[in-house]
Amino acid sequence: MAPVAKNKALNAKKAALKGTQGKAQRKVRTTTTFHLPKTLKLARVPKYSRKSIPHAPRMDQYRVIRQPLNTETAMKKLEDDNTLVFLVDVKANKRQIKDAVKKLYDVEAAKINTLIRPDGQKKAYVRLTADADALDVANKIGFI
Amino acid sequence: MVAVKAHELRNKNKAELTKQLDDLKQELASLRVQKITGGARLQKIGATRKAVARVLTVINQTQREQLRLFYKSKKYTPLDLRTKKTRAIRRRLTKVEANKKTVKQQKKLAHFPQRKFAVKA
Repeated sequence: MAPVAKNKALNAKKAALKGTQGKAQRKVRTTTTFHLPKTLKLARVPKYSRKSIPHAPRMDQYRVIRQPLNTETAMKKLEDDNTLVFLVDVKANKRQIKDAVKKLYDVEAAKINTLIRPDGQKKAYVRLTADADALDVANKIGFI
Repeated sequence: MVAVKAHELRNKNKAELTKQLDDLKQELASLRVQKITGGARLQKIGATRKAVARVLTVINQTQREQLRLFYKSKKYTPLDLRTKKTRAIRRRLTKVEANKKTVKQQKKLAHFPQRKFAVKA
């Protein structure tokens, strides 16, 4: 038989046995729970920035450290424990205080303790590392 | 100290302004230290604070003005550069949209306007 005629005959046989519509395959499910299928997640490509200018850093070093304390106990800490005592912004945390001290006075802080005074201000005890002298720094700042 | 004036600040460029801002903030910090050691130049503290505010105002004003020029030709602008007014006003139909008329209506208005008659005295 000619190939075209043979193909026609085969297709007719297939249609008679299997039908002309395709058979939908059912997925085999191995668990009873249905989990969220993983779909394509596109990254954002905004057509315009929502804020025109990003804000300058709000907690800069000048805002964090307000003023040093020169009370008697603060002076004692200066000489004995190599620590500076500052009044600090209430919203500042120890990491910000450490960075601010580094930026303003060029000294490394070994550790920082903070407390909030009864009058609402935050006090920070900044212990300097052994290679820095608190008295020198205080003289440089100007509050001895 | 020379009083900081806004119209002089506007002539400076951004780098100079940010440097001046930094200087003013440092001066403010040192003034606060002087306050506790008994130096007591309290008026100067107030003046310096206002100077910081002036510099920041000039910086931000010029920045936003430049941005508005930049976005003038663009289709979408950032939300803080759009008109604020009120939420309801922003959602209203624009004047053009509200006054649009169909051709049929335009023809009617043209051919049959509201006539005014008067009785002769």
